[in-house]
Amino acid sequence: MNCREALQVAPLHASGDLDAVTAAAYTAHLETCPDCPQKIERDAYFAARLREIVLSEDVDAEAVNRRVRLQIAAEAGKRVPASEPRRSRRWVSVAAGIAAALLLFALGYRDLLGRHIPAVYAAAATDHRLEVVEQARRTWFDNPAQIEALAQQEGVPMQAIVALASGAYHFEHARLCYLDGRIYLHLVFSIDGHELSVYLRQREAQSLPGRAREIDNGRALHAADAGHEHVASFQTDQLTAMVVSDQSADAALQFARFASTVI
Amino acid sequence: MPHTQGLLRVARRITPDPAAAEDLVQETLLRAWRSFDRFQSGTNARAWLFRILFNACYTQGRKLRAGPVLVSLHEPGSEPKPQHDAAPSLLDAAAVTRAIEELSTEHRAVLLLGAVEGFTCREMAEILALPIGTVMSRLSRARQALRERLGPAAPNFTRPEHSAQCATKEAS
Repeated sequence: MNCREALQVAPLHASGDLDAVTAAAYTAHLETCPDCPQKIERDAYFAARLREIVLSEDVDAEAVNRRVRLQIAAEAGKRVPASEPRRSRRWVSVAAGIAAALLLFALGYRDLLGRHIPAVYAAAATDHRLEVVEQARRTWFDNPAQIEALAQQEGVPMQAIVALASGAYHFEHARLCYLDGRIYLHLVFSIDGHELSVYLRQREAQSLPGRAREIDNGRALHAADAGHEHVASFQTDQLTAMVVSDQSADAALQFARFASTVI
Repeated sequence: MPHTQGLLRVARRITPDPAAAEDLVQETLLRAWRSFDRFQSGTNARAWLFRILFNACYTQGRKLRAGPVLVSLHEPGSEPKPQHDAAPSLLDAAAVTRAIEELSTEHRAVLLLGAVEGFTCREMAEILALPIGTVMSRLSRARQALRERLGPAAPNFTRPEHSAQCATKEAS
């Protein structure tokens, strides 16, 4: 066994995964090699130091867990309290409900949960709740050049954004986000002190989930309620758009109607 | 959700920013929830979650991760401080952080999975959907890169018997 091979199998030896013959060759190499034992000790030291440093960092897992719980609840068509104090009784009951939902899902009885919201709508609703209503500390962009760069990156024409801001809706800021595994350009608009989210991405082959609620400007408008949020969506030849309001279904639909005519 | 912290720790180092890392972990947990019926009871749930994390990263995060990724391990101005007293022999946290940031995403991933999350090579191969030989090779290269970057800053590991051994060889 040479030095390169010894250094490669060192982790396997440490985890006890080496077969007897290779383990013997490894041990024999270390006994005679002037360099490898020192390198392996250094590797172990660096690994331990790396582990120590990384584990000492503060990681806010609860924020992510909450997003996941909210989205699971939204997908199951449940209403979750807007901002529940940690470890409150209400939270315990929500957690118990989600645990029950998980169990039902695991058992393959998803339909027992009743009304289901398509995952992408649930994701948009959850994202709006956390990022816009509860103002999670995320990076937003309000500089036109940065927004244009984001839009270009996602294949969203800048004219569409300009058109959306041309009516009574005031553009606030933008960011990129993941919804149901896809990247969307998230735009926030305000009207009469209320904020609405618009999620845009380049249209793909598949059509929007759920039944169309109405046809507006020749485009099918879909609508869904996900907990406290209301989602309205439509597609153009180029784009898929979802509007989310935490005010009312009408507010979401009204903006979606406007958007479908100007985009 | 007991594994969220570990997932976040790794996600923060393979995605461009903390928000993207949170999105990735959120997506991972949701995918796990949706495909829970496919999880084989009795197998390693933690490894299964990390495999979903990397799948999600490869299939959906590619666009966000386009180009070389130099991930900051911490917020600017909040560099982690050594947890021990200022022992002169203790390798500086900032130096380790910089060295990890300079590695490729592939090398960083195996180091984090192995050194921080404690996965074996076999488990890493399963998580990354790679042959075990590839994992070993990447790990070996990553360690070599760390040795080269951190070597001068690390404590001296030369053991007396090896010094003697070297000295004997040199003398002969």
